[in-house]
Amino acid sequence: MLMRIDASNGLPIYDQIVRQVKFAVAHGALRAGDLVPSVRELALQVAVNPNTVARAYRDLQSDGVLEPLRGEGLRVTKDARRQCQADRQRLLRDRLRGAIVECRRGGLDTDDIRKLIDDLLKDTQREGVAS
Amino acid sequence: MSLVFELRSVTKRFGAQTALDAVSLSGKPGQVIALLGENGAGKTTAIRILLGLLDPDAGEARVLDVDSRRHGSEVRRRVGYVPDRPALYDWMTVGEIGWFAAGFHPLGFEAKYKELVAHFGLPVERQIKALSKGMQAKVSLALAMAHEPALLVLDEPTSGLDPMVRREFLESMVDIAATGRTVLLSSHQIAEVERVADTVLILRHGRLVLNERLEVLKSRVQELLVTLQAVDTAAPSLSHGAVLLGARRMDRQWQLLVRDLSPTGLEALQSLPDVVDVTARQPSLEEIFVACMTTSDTAGWAFPERADVGSPTEVSR
Repeated sequence: MLMRIDASNGLPIYDQIVRQVKFAVAHGALRAGDLVPSVRELALQVAVNPNTVARAYRDLQSDGVLEPLRGEGLRVTKDARRQCQADRQRLLRDRLRGAIVECRRGGLDTDDIRKLIDDLLKDTQREGVAS
Repeated sequence: MSLVFELRSVTKRFGAQTALDAVSLSGKPGQVIALLGENGAGKTTAIRILLGLLDPDAGEARVLDVDSRRHGSEVRRRVGYVPDRPALYDWMTVGEIGWFAAGFHPLGFEAKYKELVAHFGLPVERQIKALSKGMQAKVSLALAMAHEPALLVLDEPTSGLDPMVRREFLESMVDIAATGRTVLLSSHQIAEVERVADTVLILRHGRLVLNERLEVLKSRVQELLVTLQAVDTAAPSLSHGAVLLGARRMDRQWQLLVRDLSPTGLEALQSLPDVVDVTARQPSLEEIFVACMTTSDTAGWAFPERADVGSPTEVSR
């Protein structure tokens, strides 16, 4: 699993780690039963405070994405994939929602927004960004 | 939990200049504490007093339960220290200086030093004076870490060094924190501090204006961009317990840095008659730092305890 942390992008670092682990599980870079790096390994790999990684792992455990494997570390749970896909869907939904709220605040009405989204859907299809 | 180091209302003057004005700060095991401030704010003075290299005019300094003023040499033997300008005997080779320094430390120093030298990729046979600035800094770091100190003190260790060397310094700090030891770091590289520090201290003109966990800073401070109907020279008023930390105006827009703004407080601001739009976002540490350095009133920067903010978390190993 490769991770990219941007300390100043507004999202707390532990949250960035949680999201990236979830996205990695959602698209299959991490699979059920895979071990994630230890707190120290990941802290070194991305050069962040180990407490931050520990906190992200605690959140991922309470979300049911990771579970402890006796003496080995943490592994991805059986149900993690389905759950992470749902989480990803929710995050994307929130982002789209934010963009739409901004459109409305900018004075666009429902038809304007719909046209904008239709245009963008066509654009991205042409560019092959789809799927 | 006992303190690894502590300054208790330390004051230091150089002639008419007050370098430190009743500064109190401390660090616990496993913390990475960043000391920020402009050049001349008193960072190096604070570090030198902790290490017993400088006597305070008032107050007390202790490191690992030892009085820094009376037992400075013991303090310096027990901590690792990387000064901003490492003073190394530059006619010695990388290997020789490790052997020389081992004489001041318990057994095991030289073996660990050799391990670090290999890890940092330093040429053992080369004289210090023939090394690049980055390599000299790494020698200094290896010497500071070879006795596995409970406290590593870094005074602007990476200023003027290339990104690869800075990365190695970062990794060393992470490693020390992961083993439950403490790092005190003075730096101008705020983005780096943001990655590794858990506690941020800001010194301004010799006074400690901020001493807070980074997590708390990030969760309680917000940046607001407020667009007004008309130009107003007074910043929009805040309600519901929110505190204004800094404000800047550009024509009809105000950029506000606020602490403890609740959703109700945000709504109240949005519904003010002359407010057209409010956008809230999380500021970076650099933005917080700049606001803290430019505000005329620093009273709001002493964050009162809040019930829903937990105590520092421990590393699970």
